[in-house]
Amino acid sequence: MNEEPTRRDVLKYAARGVGALAVGGPLIYLANRAGAEGVWLIDPAKCINIRLGATGVPFCDKCATTCVLPLSAVRAVNEFAKCGRCCICPGYFDVTSEIGRDGLPTRRLCPRDAIRRNPIGDVDPDDPLNNFYDYTIDEKLCNGCGKCVMACKEPAGLGSLRLEVRYDLCVDCNRCAIAMACPEDAIAMTSKEKMALTVTRANEAPHGTDDPHIDVTGGTE
Amino acid sequence: MKQVSLAVLLILAISFITPIGSFGAEYTREVDVVPPDADIGNGYVTPPVQHPQPKAAWWSAVDALLLALAMGLSAWIVLGRRSRNWLVVLTVGCLLYFGFYREGCVCPIGAIQNVTVALTDASYTVPFVVLVFFFLPLIAALLIGRVFCGGVCPLGAIQDLVLLKPVQVPRRLDKALGTLKYAYLILAVWYAVAPAVDREFIICRFDPFVGFFRFAGPGNMMLVGGGLLALGLFVGRPYCRYLCPYGAILAILARFSWKGVTITPDKELDCGLCVESCPLGAIEQMRAVPSSCLYCARCFASCPREPINLPSTVPQPDRGGV
Repeated sequence: MNEEPTRRDVLKYAARGVGALAVGGPLIYLANRAGAEGVWLIDPAKCINIRLGATGVPFCDKCATTCVLPLSAVRAVNEFAKCGRCCICPGYFDVTSEIGRDGLPTRRLCPRDAIRRNPIGDVDPDDPLNNFYDYTIDEKLCNGCGKCVMACKEPAGLGSLRLEVRYDLCVDCNRCAIAMACPEDAIAMTSKEKMALTVTRANEAPHGTDDPHIDVTGGTE
Repeated sequence: MKQVSLAVLLILAISFITPIGSFGAEYTREVDVVPPDADIGNGYVTPPVQHPQPKAAWWSAVDALLLALAMGLSAWIVLGRRSRNWLVVLTVGCLLYFGFYREGCVCPIGAIQNVTVALTDASYTVPFVVLVFFFLPLIAALLIGRVFCGGVCPLGAIQDLVLLKPVQVPRRLDKALGTLKYAYLILAVWYAVAPAVDREFIICRFDPFVGFFRFAGPGNMMLVGGGLLALGLFVGRPYCRYLCPYGAILAILARFSWKGVTITPDKELDCGLCVESCPLGAIEQMRAVPSSCLYCARCFASCPREPINLPSTVPQPDRGGV
């Protein structure tokens, strides 16, 4: 009767040791790699709202409507280095609306009025149509519907607007609802190193359909 | 490239035709090129593009600290204070914070699959907060049992609070249903080790209670969750006992735990009231079974020998070395 508990105790200690190893091993392995986790990222070259030159594709607002957050984590971003500073920005104005007395369309395109338009540089008050204008997106209002992105495509605009996941807002769902709904698989879990590359490419890609990085048929490299 | 300003020209053409059109200003600037800063003039410099801020790290740190604090409290209340009332307070607090405020995410149950993916796919990593949430309850299970289940886990908390009229599940049925969670665990691991295209995070997708935490969710899962809660009025914590895949891992580890719940303060009194009071069927031969005890502290509330239930004039019994 005395040996029985002792043997059970020994087995229990052994099982405890195995359990500690089974928990501790993976923990140490994963802790070494933690901090480099990926984020959901929109590939601008794949997003149909941004695809330069590809006319006839339907407007897509899946980023705004399918995100699990009350206000989607996707925002439109104006790439200032590519922006033409147009007077009549097709992303800002609804260019199909009636032209007012000031020569500008009377309606704005953004359903949430999230774009700010400010004259910049040397402003000539006698020639308002030929001044330069800066378009900034108010991130508190934008819901990433992509209407402005779609409108700024060629031939109307230079394609300076794109959609971007604000990963400070994104809750990193395992199964991103936008990724599930995206018709072009443009949103993907991307590691941080790859993310840096994609953002840089989107910022630096020269404008034009001869850009080797932007393929109108949808594929990227 | 030659058609770039077509649309703008078109608009201008319309504006000239329209009787109430512009006051004759001409739109002469080409828009197929980006104007250099010098052309814009007045010292204009192209502003930097707004980039998203990295996720606030302190928020994750708060979650991890609160988890550690709640687990410490749960262990202290159940093993030290032996008080059901205090545990109910902790349960409500954790349900409000981890459940309704943090919307049931991060949770270690779903993290099973993320951790499995990170272990098998070198290109996938999990953040520190997920590691804390996944491994802290496991380490605690090896040391002092399933303290995470008692009061901390929001999925357990929502079921624990709806349990109004507990009935005992027949032991054989209880054991048979209890194997379901191991099958679910194997299925979850199977879907996690699959190649990235076939990978499916089934635990999060078919989480029955997260829809209640977020006040929104797929209708069929809300129905399943509602059904489990309705069942949970009579059957103690059905998801935890029969389905929770994390509970399966905890049960294996807690079997060998160093300390655990001791029910009778003095071993002479074996009245068996605790066995009837346990809604989980986790008391066998007057002793808590560490693998299935969920630290709900109901047994203490019904024990006539617990100091908390004794009149203060009666000498306090020894607490049995906890």
